[in-house]
Amino acid sequence: MNPKILIMVPAFNEADSIGALIKEIRVSVPQADLVVINDGSQDNTGEEARKTGAFVATLPHNLGIGGAVQTGYQIAFDEDYDVVVQIDGDGQHDPAYTAPLLRPVLEGKLDLCIGSRFLEEDTETFRSTRARRFGIRFFCRLLGLLTGLRLTDPTSGFRATGKKLIKSFADYYPVDFPEPEAVKIAKRLGARVGEIPVRMRERQAGHSSIRYLATLYYMAKVTLAILIDTLKKNP
Amino acid sequence: MHPKTFALIITFSVLILVIDLIRRQKMTFKYALAWLASSIAVIFFTLQDTWLRTVAQWAGFALPSNFIFFLLLIFVIFFSLLLTIHINEQNSRAESLAQAIARLDYRLRKMEGKESDEKR
Repeated sequence: MNPKILIMVPAFNEADSIGALIKEIRVSVPQADLVVINDGSQDNTGEEARKTGAFVATLPHNLGIGGAVQTGYQIAFDEDYDVVVQIDGDGQHDPAYTAPLLRPVLEGKLDLCIGSRFLEEDTETFRSTRARRFGIRFFCRLLGLLTGLRLTDPTSGFRATGKKLIKSFADYYPVDFPEPEAVKIAKRLGARVGEIPVRMRERQAGHSSIRYLATLYYMAKVTLAILIDTLKKNP
Repeated sequence: MHPKTFALIITFSVLILVIDLIRRQKMTFKYALAWLASSIAVIFFTLQDTWLRTVAQWAGFALPSNFIFFLLLIFVIFFSLLLTIHINEQNSRAESLAQAIARLDYRLRKMEGKESDEKR
């Protein structure tokens, strides 16, 4: 039997880019179902997504990326999906890499496959800010120290998650910059985590959730959250 | 005015205000309990100030007024902590409700989609 694949697209005020993104996803992975998590957008994100025939789950108010992604996992759990792929609604994640991202999970090699923009030393690779690159390196080291994982891009939201983690992420998913903490949780739950190289694009519209001023809060919050996770017991 | 009278007026005002808020259903008994208990404790210690001196001395405070400030600080810290927990609870409840609405929205639209497909 073919595995049930759900592509979730968390989106907040992405009316300008969401339609084109959905069309691209449909071309890349026609066999997958698609749900747009409209995270309390104040523009026409929901309507624009619906025009393309996509299913839209609208949150009545903005929960932030963590709450939106958790909603996607809850839907995946409710509907008994085998794999969930997160593709951010801002168009930064190139849907052309969805199939390679899915492969290790579908083959049973990984439970969480992260699309890394730093695995390939390519000049075309998306360039992030210096502060952000420093943050990414810091979390690579921290996660490496605590879990033994050798990652290059733990902050990437472009990821495929297998059935082993769907229920756990539906029950609890970190809020505010959740990606590195989600990796730590996955390791605590005994999941196999790995990366594949992807290219990321410049944001097509909207605003990034991480700005310069937020970097400090981001570093402190995520570090603390990861350290506290080491004190948690497995369910 | 005698400090004792001043303390009693303030404390009785707080007590009456809290009771009135409960009566008008602006505050539930659960959250009023800490205010009621502390108001009654202050009234008790104001009327029985020899007891206040004894307890303050036993706790190692040279001046009873310092002991009162200390108690006040403890009360404020403890109550702030309780309120933080409460805000967090409300926050996660609001989040769960929002997610439940989004999940229902998804299901409803999926069912509507299936229905319109069947009609065709």
